[in-house]
Amino acid sequence: MTDNLTGAPELTITPGGSDSQTRLGTIARHRHWLVGGGIIAVITLLGLAVPYLVSSKFNMGLVLDGVILAFLALSIGFLARHLGLISLGHTAFFGGAAYTVGIGIGRWSMTPTVAFVVAVVVGTLLALIMGVLVVRSTGMTFLMLTLALGQALYQFSTQRIAIPWTGAHDGLQIDLSGGTFLGLTQKSMMNAALFWPVAWVLLMVCALWLWITGRSRFGTVLEGIRENEERMRFSGFNTDLPRLIAFVVSGCVASIGGALFALNAAYVSPELLSFTKAGDALTAAIVGGLGVLAGPIFGAIVYVLAQSRFNTSGNLHLYTGIALVLVLMFLPGGILGSLEKWVRGRLSRRRQATPPSTSEPSSPEDQS
Amino acid sequence: MDLTQLLNGIALGSLLMILSSGLAMIYGLRGVTNFAHGALYMAGAYIAYSVAQQVSFWAALIAAPLVLAALGAVLELVFFRRLQHRNHIEVGLVTFGLAMIIERVIVIIWGERTLSVDAPPGLTGTTSVLGSDYPSYRLLVIGIALALAVGLVYWLRKSRVGLHIRAASHDVETSAILGINVDRVSLLVVCIGAALAGLAGTLAAPYVSVHPAMGVAILIQVLIVVVIGGAGSIGGAMLAGMALGILQTVGAIWAPSLSVLIPYAALVVVLLWRPQGLAGKRA
Repeated sequence: MTDNLTGAPELTITPGGSDSQTRLGTIARHRHWLVGGGIIAVITLLGLAVPYLVSSKFNMGLVLDGVILAFLALSIGFLARHLGLISLGHTAFFGGAAYTVGIGIGRWSMTPTVAFVVAVVVGTLLALIMGVLVVRSTGMTFLMLTLALGQALYQFSTQRIAIPWTGAHDGLQIDLSGGTFLGLTQKSMMNAALFWPVAWVLLMVCALWLWITGRSRFGTVLEGIRENEERMRFSGFNTDLPRLIAFVVSGCVASIGGALFALNAAYVSPELLSFTKAGDALTAAIVGGLGVLAGPIFGAIVYVLAQSRFNTSGNLHLYTGIALVLVLMFLPGGILGSLEKWVRGRLSRRRQATPPSTSEPSSPEDQS
Repeated sequence: MDLTQLLNGIALGSLLMILSSGLAMIYGLRGVTNFAHGALYMAGAYIAYSVAQQVSFWAALIAAPLVLAALGAVLELVFFRRLQHRNHIEVGLVTFGLAMIIERVIVIIWGERTLSVDAPPGLTGTTSVLGSDYPSYRLLVIGIALALAVGLVYWLRKSRVGLHIRAASHDVETSAILGINVDRVSLLVVCIGAALAGLAGTLAAPYVSVHPAMGVAILIQVLIVVVIGGAGSIGGAMLAGMALGILQTVGAIWAPSLSVLIPYAALVVVLLWRPQGLAGKRA
C-alpha cells in the first residue's frame, strides 16, 4: 500500500556490502550527512535572530508556543514518517513531563535544571511503558490504543485521589523562584524572547537527532518494517524492538517539549493531557506535512499563529476540523510535503529537458 | 452487592453496547474507526432534547435516529466511499476532523450550557425490581438496548442482507467478486451505525446530562470496548460493552476514585493476555 499520508518516497534499499559500494557512492553519502547537518546548523543560527525580528511581546509568546507545540508535532511526525504509525497518546509524555516538572519543583524542591532532567526521564519511561503495550499493534488499533492509554493518564490526573499531586482541574502553579535553568531566572524563563534560544536550539537538536536516526541503518530498518513487516521478519530482523526504540525516542522528544512548556508557563493543567491537545498536535503535524522533517515544525508554528487569528469566537476547533479534513482529502502530504513534491517535479522535468548530466546521482530520499 | 448498582451497570453497559456495535459494524466493512461516533451520539442527544421539548420524547426516539441515519448517509457518500482506496488511517483521521466540526456546530446551535431532558411521563417514577426501587426510565433503556441487541444479532445471522454484511466484513474484495454490492451494503451499515449512535444519544439524554463534552467522553470508552472485544467483531463488542459497563459501575462502590480507570486497566490486561481482543482473529 502506498503511503499517501506520510508522502514518503519509495523505499530503496541499496545492497550494503562494501564490494557493491562504489567510492563515489561513499563520498556522496558522506556529503549527504554534511549537507543535511549544515542545513540544520544554518537554520538554527537563523532562528536565533527571531527575537530581534519579532517586536511585539505578544507575537513572540505565540511563536514560542508554536515551537513548544512543535516538539510534540515533531515526535508524532517521526513515528508517522518512519513507521506509518499515528499516535494520539504522545500527550501522555508531553503532559507527563510537564507535570513532573511541577511536582518535582513543588513537592521535592528540585532546582529547575534537575526537574527538567528528571521530567524528561519520567516522560521517556512513560513512553517505554506505553510502547511495550502498543508497539505490536499497527494501523487503526495503534491509533485507538495510544488514544485510550493517553486518556488514562488524563482521567487519573483529574481524579480526587490525585489532587495533592496534580491539583485536578485546577492545575498546578509552579514556583520557579528557587533556582535557575541554564542560567535563566524565573523572570527570564517566563520571558518568551529570553527563553527562545533554549527552546529553539533544543528543538533543532531534537530535529537533528531524529534526522540522523531516520537516515541511519536503523532508520532503513524502520522503513522496511513500515513497508512490509512480515518480509522483514522473514529476513531475520527483529521487528518489535526497533519499533519500541523508535517509539521511546519519539516519546523522549515529546517529553522535552513538555518540560520546556512547564518551565516557560510555570503552570500545568490537565488540558496538557487532553484529547484536544493530542488533536491539536496531530492536526499541526498533518497540515505541515508528515513526510518532511520540517513539516510538523512548520505546521505547529502556523497552527499557533492561526489559532490566535481565528479563535475570536471560540470556533477554533471548527476551523481546525475543517483544515484537517480539507488537507487530508485534497492535499495529502501537507503543505510542505506538497511543496516538496512540486519542487521535485519541476526539477526532474528540467533534468529531463537537458541532456543527462554526469553529476553524482542525487539521493531520492532527501527529507531535510 | 446492591441490585440497584448492578442495574445501573447494565444500563451503562446497554448504551456502550449499542454504540460499540455500530462502531464495530462500520469498522468491519470500511476498515475505518469512526472517530466521529462520539459526536454522532452527542448529536442524537441534542436533537432528542429539541424534539422532546417541541413534541415528545417518543417522537425524539424516532426522529433522532432518522436524522442521524441521514447524517450517516452523508458520511458514507461524501467521505467513506470517495476515500475507500486511500489509506484507512487517513480516512480515520478525516472522521477525527469531522468529529471536531460536528461538536463545534452543535455548540453553535445549542450553546455551551448543560441541558437536561425529562424522562417521558409515566416513566418518571420508580419500579420495584426484586424488592428494590429502581428508576423506571432506566429499565426502559435496558429493555430497548437488549431488544435491539437481540434483534441486530438475529438480523445479521438470519437475513440475506445480514449475510452480505457478514461476508463483506470478512473479506470485502471476495464478496464484491461474488456479486455483493459492497457500496450498497456499506451505505446501509453506516446509516444503521449512525442511527444506533443517535438512538444511544436519545436514550442517554434523560439520564446523563446533555453537555458539549459528552461525545469525547463516551468515544474513548467505546474505542476501548471495541479494542477489547476484538476490532470488527460485533458480538465481541456487545459483550465487552456490557461487561465494562457493569464492571465500571460496580467498581465505583469499592474504589470510587479509581473506577474511571477500570476501562483502561481492563484494556491493558486484555492486551497483554490476548492482543487481538477477546473475539478477534489473529491478524
